[in-house]
Amino acid sequence: MTTPPEIMMHLSEAAVSVELETAEMTLNIGPQHPSTHGVLRLVAKVDGERVSEVEPVIGYMHRGYEKLTEVRTYPQITALVNRIDWVSGFANEIPFMVAAERLMGIEAPPRAQYIRLILTEMARISSHLIFASSYPLEIGAATPLMHALRERERILDLLESVTGGRFHPNFNRIGGVKPAAGAGASTKKVSQDLPAGFLDETRVAMERVVSVCDDLDGLVSGNEIFQARTKGVGVIPVEIAKSYGVSGPNMRASGVPFDVRKVDDYLPYDQFDFDVAVGENGDCWDRYQVRLEEIRQAARIISQAIDSMPSGELQAKVPRIIKVPKGQVYVRAENPKGEMGYFVVSEGGRIPYRVKIRTASFSNLTILQWILKGILIPDIIAILGSLDFVLGDVDR
Amino acid sequence: MTDSPSETPQAAEAEAPSEPTGGDVTELAAAVAAAVGGTVAQTEFGTAKVAVDRDNWAAAIASARDEAGLDFFNWLSAVDWTKDTTLGEGVAEPDTVEERFEVLCMLSTLTDGRKVTFSVDLPKDDASLGSLSSIFGGAEWHERETAEMFGIDFVGHPNLAKLYLPSEFEGHPLLKSFPLLSREVKPWPGKVDVENMPSTENPEAPSAEAAESDEGETG
Amino acid sequence: MIAPLLGLEINFWLLLVVKMGLIAGVISGAALVAIYGELKISAHMQSRIGPYFAGGRFGWAQPIADGVKFFQKEDLMPDDADPFVYKAAPYVVLGGTVATFVIIPWGPDLSVRDLDLGLFYLLAVSSISTIGVLMAGWSSANKYSLMGGLRAAGQLIAYELPLVLAAVGVAIQAGTMSLGGIVEAQTQAVWTIGSVDIALPYVLGGQLIGFVIFITASLAELSRTPFDMPIAESELVSGYMTEYSGFRFAAFFLGEYAGMIALAAIASTLFLGGFWVPGVSADALQYLGPLVLAAKMGALIFLFIWMRWTFPRLREDQLQSLAWRWLIPAALLNIAVTAVFKVVL
Repeated sequence: MTTPPEIMMHLSEAAVSVELETAEMTLNIGPQHPSTHGVLRLVAKVDGERVSEVEPVIGYMHRGYEKLTEVRTYPQITALVNRIDWVSGFANEIPFMVAAERLMGIEAPPRAQYIRLILTEMARISSHLIFASSYPLEIGAATPLMHALRERERILDLLESVTGGRFHPNFNRIGGVKPAAGAGASTKKVSQDLPAGFLDETRVAMERVVSVCDDLDGLVSGNEIFQARTKGVGVIPVEIAKSYGVSGPNMRASGVPFDVRKVDDYLPYDQFDFDVAVGENGDCWDRYQVRLEEIRQAARIISQAIDSMPSGELQAKVPRIIKVPKGQVYVRAENPKGEMGYFVVSEGGRIPYRVKIRTASFSNLTILQWILKGILIPDIIAILGSLDFVLGDVDR
Repeated sequence: MTDSPSETPQAAEAEAPSEPTGGDVTELAAAVAAAVGGTVAQTEFGTAKVAVDRDNWAAAIASARDEAGLDFFNWLSAVDWTKDTTLGEGVAEPDTVEERFEVLCMLSTLTDGRKVTFSVDLPKDDASLGSLSSIFGGAEWHERETAEMFGIDFVGHPNLAKLYLPSEFEGHPLLKSFPLLSREVKPWPGKVDVENMPSTENPEAPSAEAAESDEGETG
Repeated sequence: MIAPLLGLEINFWLLLVVKMGLIAGVISGAALVAIYGELKISAHMQSRIGPYFAGGRFGWAQPIADGVKFFQKEDLMPDDADPFVYKAAPYVVLGGTVATFVIIPWGPDLSVRDLDLGLFYLLAVSSISTIGVLMAGWSSANKYSLMGGLRAAGQLIAYELPLVLAAVGVAIQAGTMSLGGIVEAQTQAVWTIGSVDIALPYVLGGQLIGFVIFITASLAELSRTPFDMPIAESELVSGYMTEYSGFRFAAFFLGEYAGMIALAAIASTLFLGGFWVPGVSADALQYLGPLVLAAKMGALIFLFIWMRWTFPRLREDQLQSLAWRWLIPAALLNIAVTAVFKVVL
């Protein structure tokens, strides 16, 4: 599809540039721009509509997380960490909690782990619904935004009913989860359960989410213009993905069926039956399809988790002041944006010595200079949108 | 665990899932250490760490990719080991710690769950290391970040400009000797200032302090 | 209406002023209705409600409120902008669009001036807007506006041709270029079944392909999605209109909706039979004609709005390839087949 018009454009460009010697223009895309997902600046050298090279400039949202973790106690860091990737807040806390728990040698009770799993998958659905609404908008279709966000509101309401926060739950505790919102700070540690009706409402919400995925399939995926804008655009070969550290749906769209949930045991995913969404070519179209499929699989996991939810404690026995013994550990998780990990260096004590936060979007963005060469300007927008990054994740 | 209608064999299995420590990685660490010519530094907590010599760094990473099959570049960063820390809590035994930078690079695979962290020690007065950007394209940005945060020089890196910080920024923020500037100007926690605190040295230059604190907030 | 007035021999210049006032009123009024329609229809398609507060529960005063808002804004111009070109651009765009209202027949004698060369005049005058867009893009002293202007120029020029060629097919079939004559040609019977004459509007009477091409090219001429690359909101902020605010932006805005109404009216006239409905006498059409035409225009405007909110936008090279490789050959084929049938039948 793209070859004949490209050849035509090349020929016409060749003729014109011999006579006119059109100068290259440096176009600044961002940092304030509707489509760069935050404050990302791309300094692009363009010749008409064709981009010859792009230099990304990041750091506008650098908040100094790694320095902050050197002066905060472990429970305090939990409150900070869900602000890294603010679209899927809950999922950022999990690997850090598991890392601290591994160093302490304790494990969260099963009910707490199931609750963590359900809320992580809901965060995943929430993040992918944001993608499914904003990506067609950047391509030009304005309507899917409303439909997808309407369903996302349901998920956010459910998250709020359990944790008290829509985006920044701060719900994890070392050794489990917090007794559900409404327990009160002055009561002794009594395992208060999830809010009444939460599980049934979640079931209903999952059905609605799957039905909106079907709507989006009809409205967006079936549209020839959308397919023409995304198929064959922004192909990431597997070797490049490995060399640059591209993870998550971006990597799975290139055909690699690797999912951290299947290989690591930070949460009890092995109890559930779910498929890993894999694409074929690694273009924007595949990245879009992989994320839609992941929404369906997440809904499937949540339904199974609700059906087999164990009862019991919500938090293991931990001392009031958390002191984590000396050691170094790396725990990673399959976040919606990709692989997120924490390398915690603890020297015993209440405050870690060093925490290295490996974020998915930072590594995903390292391919920008490679992938944004020799393409048209609208394709920049299509590719940036399909990588689905958030600047908080990139800049930390 | 109390009995409940949902106590199926699956849920009973939930009582004893895989070990909380994240699995046994001694074999993996030994195999990788042999392949790259390094030594096993740690295998606890499911985290395999292989220590490599400084001169062997790039070659070791390349052979980890080619021979040990660790072809996914995960991340690269550093740790500043020092005995005097004014921030947070320092090392557990300050008298025995060796002053050094420890550069860490983690590689993993996309076929199974193997992941190995490679570490190399650099002396503080000669903090330079061969760049990995010719082996793994993703190392470029990670090394830029480590260079600006710690002051480590990566030899052979194509463009070692600052990544996060403004280009006029002075200092290397993640060093333990670099203060957390928001605490320098304003005491922590919770004291709400409505005007700049006068500096004890320079009572007539509050604007310079304000500029410094602005820089510190972004750093 | 004009016939009885002609009996009174009104002064030509007074009549001219009346007609201009009418056109201004019709354009503004229809544009307001179209804007309101777009807001409400798009809202319901997106499971929202749309304007709700301005003017009571239905929000009908929203476009009026927007108009007042535009009027009272500050008059800004970028420092580096070329003052004359910058100020003139919106009026060039608007002027080109308004001039197309001259020949639209609202009833069997109800047009400002039914030129013999109506179709030719129409297509010539509607290209003036292209110059206005280029002027706006260049004079804004903004790289994004320049890019938007260039994209717009390429698109508008490319899609002029299918527009013209599709209209030529109608002209061949009708045998005349005057729009009143084209409507009359569509009232001619095509078949006679028993004693009933069946006359078909051209969309059913052989110009279906021409109709589709005309509608597609109209969308592109209006820079509406799926052809709104020049104004690609997520890329160029607002394309060539980025630096315009207040009254000048209102002029562009009005020009876009006026253009939509004009092209819908033209398409209805050329392909859907204009003010004519089968079974209604010519005398009744003097009064019902405008309503009939308005109904047909409304259907087409609904189609335009529907397509805008459903489709994503085409990339520039895909857009050009659609025009040059698909629409123009199809339109030429349409002309050839029409000519053959005209000669043979």
